[in-house]
Amino acid sequence: MKKLSIFLAALLMALPACALAEYEDLPAEQPKEFSVYTDKNARDNHFIVSGWMGDYGDVKLNDQATANPHSGTACLEFSYTAKKTQGQGWAGVYWQNPANNWGNKNGGFNLTGMNKLTFWARGAKGGEVIQKFMVGGIKGTYPDSATVEMGPVELSDVWKQYTINLAGKDLSYINGGFGWTTTADLNPEGCVFYVDDVKYESDATMQPAAKKVEDVPFYVYADRTSAKNHFVSSGWMGDYGDIKYDGASKEDAYLGDSCIKIVYSGKASQGARWAGILWQNPANNWGNVDGGYDLSKAVKLTFWARGAKGGERIEEFKVGGIMGEFSDSDSAVIGPVILNKDWAQYTIDLKGKDMSYIIGGFCWAANIDNNPEGATFYLDEIKFE
Amino acid sequence: MIITRRAPRSTWMRSSSNEALLSRNRIIVTTLLFALGLAAAGCRPKVPAVYVAKLKSGHYQLKTGGKPFIIKGVCYNPVPIGKNHEYDWWSDSNKPWITDGKLMREMGINTIRIYQPGTDPEAVKKVIRDLYDLYGIRTVLGHWLGCWEYPCPFYGEKDFQERITNEVLKMVKAYKDEPGVLFWVLGNENNYSCLGRINPWSNEEIDREPDPQKKNALRLKIYYSFVNELAHKIHKLDPDHPVALGNGELSGLESAKENCPDVDLVACIIYRGKTFGNLFRSLRMTFDKPIVIAEFGADAYDATLQKEDQNMQAFFLESQWRQIYENLAGVKDGEGNCLGGVMFEWTDEWWKHDEGNPSGWSVQDTESNWSNGGYYFDIKAEGNKNMNEEWFGIVAQSPEAENGLNMRKPRKAYYVIREFWNNPVPLKKNPKR
Repeated sequence: MKKLSIFLAALLMALPACALAEYEDLPAEQPKEFSVYTDKNARDNHFIVSGWMGDYGDVKLNDQATANPHSGTACLEFSYTAKKTQGQGWAGVYWQNPANNWGNKNGGFNLTGMNKLTFWARGAKGGEVIQKFMVGGIKGTYPDSATVEMGPVELSDVWKQYTINLAGKDLSYINGGFGWTTTADLNPEGCVFYVDDVKYESDATMQPAAKKVEDVPFYVYADRTSAKNHFVSSGWMGDYGDIKYDGASKEDAYLGDSCIKIVYSGKASQGARWAGILWQNPANNWGNVDGGYDLSKAVKLTFWARGAKGGERIEEFKVGGIMGEFSDSDSAVIGPVILNKDWAQYTIDLKGKDMSYIIGGFCWAANIDNNPEGATFYLDEIKFE
Repeated sequence: MIITRRAPRSTWMRSSSNEALLSRNRIIVTTLLFALGLAAAGCRPKVPAVYVAKLKSGHYQLKTGGKPFIIKGVCYNPVPIGKNHEYDWWSDSNKPWITDGKLMREMGINTIRIYQPGTDPEAVKKVIRDLYDLYGIRTVLGHWLGCWEYPCPFYGEKDFQERITNEVLKMVKAYKDEPGVLFWVLGNENNYSCLGRINPWSNEEIDREPDPQKKNALRLKIYYSFVNELAHKIHKLDPDHPVALGNGELSGLESAKENCPDVDLVACIIYRGKTFGNLFRSLRMTFDKPIVIAEFGADAYDATLQKEDQNMQAFFLESQWRQIYENLAGVKDGEGNCLGGVMFEWTDEWWKHDEGNPSGWSVQDTESNWSNGGYYFDIKAEGNKNMNEEWFGIVAQSPEAENGLNMRKPRKAYYVIREFWNNPVPLKKNPKR
């Protein structure tokens, strides 16, 4: 053995310097897993459950839930009351590094080489709807290098593993290691759910997510609690201060137990003299995030609408049309439309349109000139067919 | 100036046979007769017609002199620093088009677009001739069709239509025999006036209609029918040049299909950032005509960082040209309905931002007054206002003078697009082309 060592040492010394230099440039072997959360106080928990968002008073965490964990001795139990304690109507939590890092500290990890995040989740009863689970997306001075979201997800009462595809994403700086958000509309009575074994993985078989062609009907909005609501009414435009939005109105819904009620005051709060809302995926995506759906099978978008008094004039209803780094593949519009007091169905024809990449699922816009007293109107059953 | 073809001088020097001599004499006599005939007629030699050919594949191709012509164009309005749009550059003794034409030719530009010619026909002809004779650059001539008249364009009124018709036909008569003319463009974004977005107009019939969608449909029908009549009259007067319908985006073209079938192509104004998206296919589905992107581009000022960014402008323009080329006739997997493009614009115009304030015409404003998410590099500017109207030039203008003009300083886009035109491969969809 000693002779062999001497021989190897001599051989190494004999190698040309350039060969050694090349060898040093090769990357070190990558780990196959990187844990976010395994068990309370586990040494390999790399992120901390610290980033409470929205109605933070509505969310309670039991980090030692011992009843039926997926593995180990405990799991995380989240209780969301949907009481809108801070008046937001939604809440969520981020796992961060270091704790409470909203992009103001240079923390996070370089997770290059990982290409998926897996976690286990279940609901207390089944039917709990999580608006989205996410990786990255924290902004600030030290922003995450990627934002990836998955959802909505309707949980069952048994443990199920979920995967967020990260293939092709820039994971060179991730501070928001994992997170979730949900809304009071989706869970009007609140919900209790469990999370366990959250980790990044390197999977040689993982490919960048190709958008699947969605089946129709495909809803923008079905009902307040529906997991079929695929777009979020997050794009408030123009005089956004003039808009009041209720996504769970019980005032004579067309179908189901709720509809959307919009009150447009026409006060020109921001001086634009018009206002509108765009339903986006993911929320607040103005074409800056790769999101949306492939709705190539859709030949029309239909929706039901009525005015509170009748005679309210909506300048346009629209599909698509968002322009940015990731632009909608097409757009289609109808309008102006004068609403009736009774529900009426409207159709946006999509024949011949390229619906292969749609971030902006639906949109309306109204102005003061044609609604000097403002307008109150209702929408329901917005869907691609 | 009369252009005649002749054999190269070296051929004359080498020829010594009688046949060659006779041949030479025949050519000289023919040339002299031709020149005398033209002089007697008081006109320039007739050039072959410009027309759009529909190929067997269904693709469209613009032809000049029987040969394919890809429009590599730029909007041209060389207003100097300190002046506004009322400046009569056509009569500028420093002849900016001579300086600009040389730079354009070196870049590869073969077409300029004029929104509406100046008031002195002889001065306009001089510009068209100089650009064509010196640099081979063609001119697309347009007419606003009164879109910006106060209080609005009364397309529903006969006397308004007659007045505009007379103006347009006068323009066509004046310039149709200029060899440099490529085609006519009727209107620009006038369809928006039918949709209430700019200068809304009406008439009694429209006023009687309570449904706003039907009101728009009526306006579009009236407007496009009027353009169709104009196209018909132009074709009678000038069968040698195509007539284009100027249009903002593709809005309203469903109506044009019904009411404006006699135009030869559409000339659309498109600002969608790095991609034209589904534009070419969408046009096929709505109004199957060839298209020239008659106004597109990007500004060269980053409204977020508050500084000039030539890379940003070059990036968008290169991406836009790539898509134009992907949809030219003969390109596999493309729609084959694009004839080329006309970038906005040749030089910066320093009067545009605050046009009512003459002192602002000598300052290149960095303030933006409109937003377009397609140009996403600087969309985080305050109020998302990222479009800088005074920074669209492919060449910047400097207060320094050169030959009596503001010095031209080509931006990066000038070189990037020149390189793309020189070597427009590999195309994404057809790497072998």
